[in-house]
Amino acid sequence: MATAAARQAMSRPSLLRIIPRPRQQQQLISLRFSSSSSATSSSPPKTPEYAIPDPSRPTHFGYETVTEAEKRKRVAGVFTSVAESYDRMNDLMSFGWHRIWKDHFVSTLNPGFSPLSGSSPSGPQHILDIAGGTGDIAFRMLHHAHVVNANPSVRVTISDINRAMLSVGKARATTDLPASQQEALSFVEANAENLSQTRPLQPILSETEQTFFDPATATSGIPDASVDLYTVAFGIRNFSNIPAALREAHRVLKPGGVFACLEFSKADKWTSIFESLYKEWSFRAIPLIGQLVAGDRDSYQYLVESIERFPSQEEFRDMIVDAGFVVAGKGYEDLTGGVAAIHRGMKPRK
Amino acid sequence: MASSHPVLLRTVARAAARLSPPPQIIQAARQLSTGASTLSSHATASNTPPPPPPESPKGKKPLTPSQKAFLSSALRVNQAGELAATLIYTAQTPPVVRREPHLKPLMKHMYDQEADHLRVFNHLIAKHRVRPTALYPLWSVMATGLGWSTAIMGKEAAMACTEAVETEIGGHYNAQIRKLLEMVTEWEAEGYEVGEEFRDLINTLRRIRDEELEHLDHAVEHDAQKAEPHWLLTGVIRAGCRGAIWVSERV
Amino acid sequence: MASAAVTCSAGAARRMLLLPPRPTVTLLRPSVPVTRSLSTTANHSSVCRHSHTQQQSIRSRHIRPESQRTPASQLQTRAYHSHDHPAPPRPFTEAETTLLSAALQHVPEHGFGPEALAHGARDVGLLDISAAVLPDGPFSLIRYHLYAQRTGLAAKKDDLFQGTEAIMTVSEKVEALTWARLRGNEVIIGKWQEALAIMAMPSQAPTAAKELGCLADEIYYLAGDLSVDPSWYTKRASLSAIYAATELFMTTDRSPGFQETRAFLRRRLDEASSLGGAVRSVSQWLSFTGSAAVNVLRSKGVRI
Repeated sequence: MATAAARQAMSRPSLLRIIPRPRQQQQLISLRFSSSSSATSSSPPKTPEYAIPDPSRPTHFGYETVTEAEKRKRVAGVFTSVAESYDRMNDLMSFGWHRIWKDHFVSTLNPGFSPLSGSSPSGPQHILDIAGGTGDIAFRMLHHAHVVNANPSVRVTISDINRAMLSVGKARATTDLPASQQEALSFVEANAENLSQTRPLQPILSETEQTFFDPATATSGIPDASVDLYTVAFGIRNFSNIPAALREAHRVLKPGGVFACLEFSKADKWTSIFESLYKEWSFRAIPLIGQLVAGDRDSYQYLVESIERFPSQEEFRDMIVDAGFVVAGKGYEDLTGGVAAIHRGMKPRK
Repeated sequence: MASSHPVLLRTVARAAARLSPPPQIIQAARQLSTGASTLSSHATASNTPPPPPPESPKGKKPLTPSQKAFLSSALRVNQAGELAATLIYTAQTPPVVRREPHLKPLMKHMYDQEADHLRVFNHLIAKHRVRPTALYPLWSVMATGLGWSTAIMGKEAAMACTEAVETEIGGHYNAQIRKLLEMVTEWEAEGYEVGEEFRDLINTLRRIRDEELEHLDHAVEHDAQKAEPHWLLTGVIRAGCRGAIWVSERV
Repeated sequence: MASAAVTCSAGAARRMLLLPPRPTVTLLRPSVPVTRSLSTTANHSSVCRHSHTQQQSIRSRHIRPESQRTPASQLQTRAYHSHDHPAPPRPFTEAETTLLSAALQHVPEHGFGPEALAHGARDVGLLDISAAVLPDGPFSLIRYHLYAQRTGLAAKKDDLFQGTEAIMTVSEKVEALTWARLRGNEVIIGKWQEALAIMAMPSQAPTAAKELGCLADEIYYLAGDLSVDPSWYTKRASLSAIYAATELFMTTDRSPGFQETRAFLRRRLDEASSLGGAVRSVSQWLSFTGSAAVNVLRSKGVRI
């Protein structure tokens, strides 16, 4: 009943929709993270209550407030419905820039780089690409490590909560990648907020099957301190509980390991004119285009609302530090006037 | 009647003017003196030293980038202003004194004070590693031109020039002092110590402001208001001052 | 009587000027006609005096609050050095400093690149990938070198002057400090050309230029230069240019102890000081001639 009302609310013509209320958004964020003030500690403090996943706790889905479990289900719905046209969504939101951002993201991380002299004391690199279903980032990582840096020992694991997305990635991998790179690639279904419960990708057998990961079916997990590089590109804003996901990232990374996140952000770094034009574009044009092109207004509406809801560059940097990471400089890099931003953090040695 | 008792009338008029501000202004003034810190009560009684700073375990707070930007632009614009003032008096003195030799001591007194202010700000600029204004030569030329041309127009015009400049400068210094006092209040409220360096700066600005306002009064005493057309002259000069302040805060 | 009136009105003006600013634009309008009518109709000094005070009180109400005055901090490379307040946080975080200073040790062998960063990371027990956390990769390493050398100059100062600070001239001190800074490049000189190439890239050039300006300022500050006139700019600009040229010269210098670089530096500084001297003489001559001309005219009875 509530869902039906909510859906009705979502499908109101967006041209009449009132443009975002950032104040309200900030309030919600400060409510959620108000207890995370110990910004300077380098080791992860005792996990605060807000960072423990709780299916019944309220979070937001676009501009709606739903429970964490409900958000998980709905996000899965969005991505199942757009899995095939996912790139088109990103093209719309970034004016096609997202490919360049992704190239930049991967090449500045320089995965697989190892000095020629001396062998790496920490063993072959393991990259974990979270919410990387369609393989955009993972394929670039593999190419950069294996070809550019000529380091075939690098392994990449793609993790996603959504099997539909993973299946798209898997299909693309078999057609696009050379055999050696396919060997170094693995797919797991997992919820980024709890990576100790995962299972290898299962093929989708029937259309009625639920596509989002159910922890009850888990057969494996990602061990502590086993990952060199944790990446998440255009995924983290869809998480039900971002602090919990950041803590999981901290857990699975080796000391010295790097957390890197590419995400849409606050486009306020150039001029307010650019920012307001971008808002007009995202709130008025994109849902309409979604309706016309993909026949799926709701998913596109969710996309723009979730971007607007996501914390600012500085707030998100502070969340990363709260999870126990150290940052360098200001801790983030703006891309295209802040339409997107790259955040990086390193898990310090004890 | 007015001409028969000018001094008496003037005093009455001044008293009336002082009593005349509408109630909200008086209230606002009161708010300022009671609401702000202990220091702000000295804003009106200028030359008394502030009470010794209470020793605070928190020490001093690092200056924020915006506070630093304010302080450096304040020192820069003050130096430029005092440079201009010395040059104005330098250019005014010969023509004015030739016509009115009795004004020589006054002109010298005002010049000496301005030269001292310039020394103070030169010292502060060097000490705090603030960039001097990039338009130094421009201000020099414009100030000399202003001083000379008003002096050529006559003693009244020269005094009107002083009146206009010192009015702007007085308001400008007050704005700076107010802002510095706000910073002090903020630090004190947060339990930080306020350093000697900072208190000295406030006291220096107060002393200089008082001397500038004294020049304003000297100018009015010496018939600044008789300049023709007074409103145009002071209006133009004051607008020029504001423009110059705006520019030198930035470059 | 007159002096009492002066002090009295000074107090009044001060009090009125100190009033908190009111953002009343409407008040601005009446002040002009009031002034005009009073000053054009009334010739009596008493009324004039009154109009002045009234004008004061009206004017004082629209002195703009400084919150509206936005000092442009973007233009400044660095601002207001406090001797009293604690220094602001360093531009490099602790984790960065550890990694970068370890990596610098490998620069003589591996250059300003990912190799040095990876070796440095291994030295401090981190991973090959750890340097990925740095905001601009190898350029972070260059930036750190520039920063560490510049801020290290203050500590070398006493050593350099060895108690002779009082008898050395500013230009002698500038030369000594510049030379000390150049010697900071000695160990990495073989890799410095490649670093200069990176610094010249459009994305990094602004940072590199800013750093150069900071260095020139630091040298003049440590040398005790107190000039706050236009020479403030010319001195820093010419020292920046000389430093950049000498630094480049040094990358090709094979003479023992970089004697040729030292001689090159000396020549450039001498040229600059003779040029600066010439400019100073010309401007002195101009102002002298100008005032002499004015005085001659005045002595002839011209009323200027």
